[in-house]
Amino acid sequence: MGRYLPIVVAVPRRKPGTLLPLETEILDVALSLLRSGQATFHGFGLAQAMREQSASRSLTAHGTLYKALGRLEEFGLLTSRWEDTAAAEGRPRRRLYELTRQGAHVAEQTLSGKGDKAIRRSPRVVSGTA
Amino acid sequence: MTPERMAELVARWVRFYTRGLPTAIARRRVEEISSDLHDHIAHERARGTCDRRIAFSVISRMVRGLAADSAWRSQHAKPIAAQTSTPGQALKARKTTYRSALGVALGTAFILLLPLVAMQFTDEVVWDLADFAVAGVLLFGAGLTYVLIARKAGNVAYRVAVGVAVAAALLLLWLMGAVGVIGEEGDHVDFMYFGVLAVGIIGAVIARFRPDGMARALLATALAQGLVAVIALIAGKHQSPISSVFEIVALNGFFVALFTGSARLFRHAGRQQPPRAQGRTVRR
Repeated sequence: MGRYLPIVVAVPRRKPGTLLPLETEILDVALSLLRSGQATFHGFGLAQAMREQSASRSLTAHGTLYKALGRLEEFGLLTSRWEDTAAAEGRPRRRLYELTRQGAHVAEQTLSGKGDKAIRRSPRVVSGTA
Repeated sequence: MTPERMAELVARWVRFYTRGLPTAIARRRVEEISSDLHDHIAHERARGTCDRRIAFSVISRMVRGLAADSAWRSQHAKPIAAQTSTPGQALKARKTTYRSALGVALGTAFILLLPLVAMQFTDEVVWDLADFAVAGVLLFGAGLTYVLIARKAGNVAYRVAVGVAVAAALLLLWLMGAVGVIGEEGDHVDFMYFGVLAVGIIGAVIARFRPDGMARALLATALAQGLVAVIALIAGKHQSPISSVFEIVALNGFFVALFTGSARLFRHAGRQQPPRAQGRTVRR
């Protein structure tokens, strides 16, 4: 039955190597944070920054956010590591994400593309990293 | 509804959908969401948001992400499935499934032929198209459910347990549709039996069809069945000219016995099963 579900639900399929709007948004916010001197960010911090940037009322869902972060890491646009336990100060340790050089480049392209075109296509990621 | 309770619910969901995945992947997701939930609640409380609103926000984030969670799980579960079976084995398993489904379809068609033939010789049997359709769906659905679940079993007890549970569910649905279990045909009190079957189905999914979990799911189903009888008696359904106390107790007792019997068989199957390999899955 699983193979017929896409027909029923009509899930849009991603072209290999392209970014979804949410992934582009994550890169944009990550670049903004980097420019404001915050090189690393964590999941909730990112969701909060995205909410503020888009003036939305709700935070991005857990599943959607972490799946997108995982994809960006697979593409080589983000790297991640666990926060030091000492820095966590008793709370659950955070997974800290950081834009890679390639990620920053793609994010910059996205931002400049936004300025140039009202309607733009998602940037293609260099093949081989996906 | 406190934010902490909602966070616990989300954590349970995360533990559920990461079960059976490689330890590193599962642990990362569990810890990451745990950290997110902590930060979310702390941030909102610092902003002075009321607890009810925070709780709603937490559960809303979980619900909106369910589809992505399922997709994420499938993505990480595929490599495990590929490791545990060779392409030849997978092809063989697929062929066996198609053959079984074809067998079930033929069996269903044969059973449906009986009333069709009987209608040619007697006026006692009068089935319309809807009757054939409902019967076909029920029989094919029950047969396919049995085939898909039982084919995973390595022992006879598990197969028999599945057979008893599926047969009981089929019989219950048939009775509900044909004559009604409690009161007259079409009495809304029968809708409670959908709840009984839902208990079994949800329990089986949570147990991932493992024998011990299935035993608990079937026991819960039997309890739910018994509860329906108690509710029917309290509601005074035994005063109906069609359903006496004896009929309500006997009919529901019969299904309680079937579900309990199936649970005992699952428990027996669980004892016969060799212990699972250590270290491959996340153990909590």
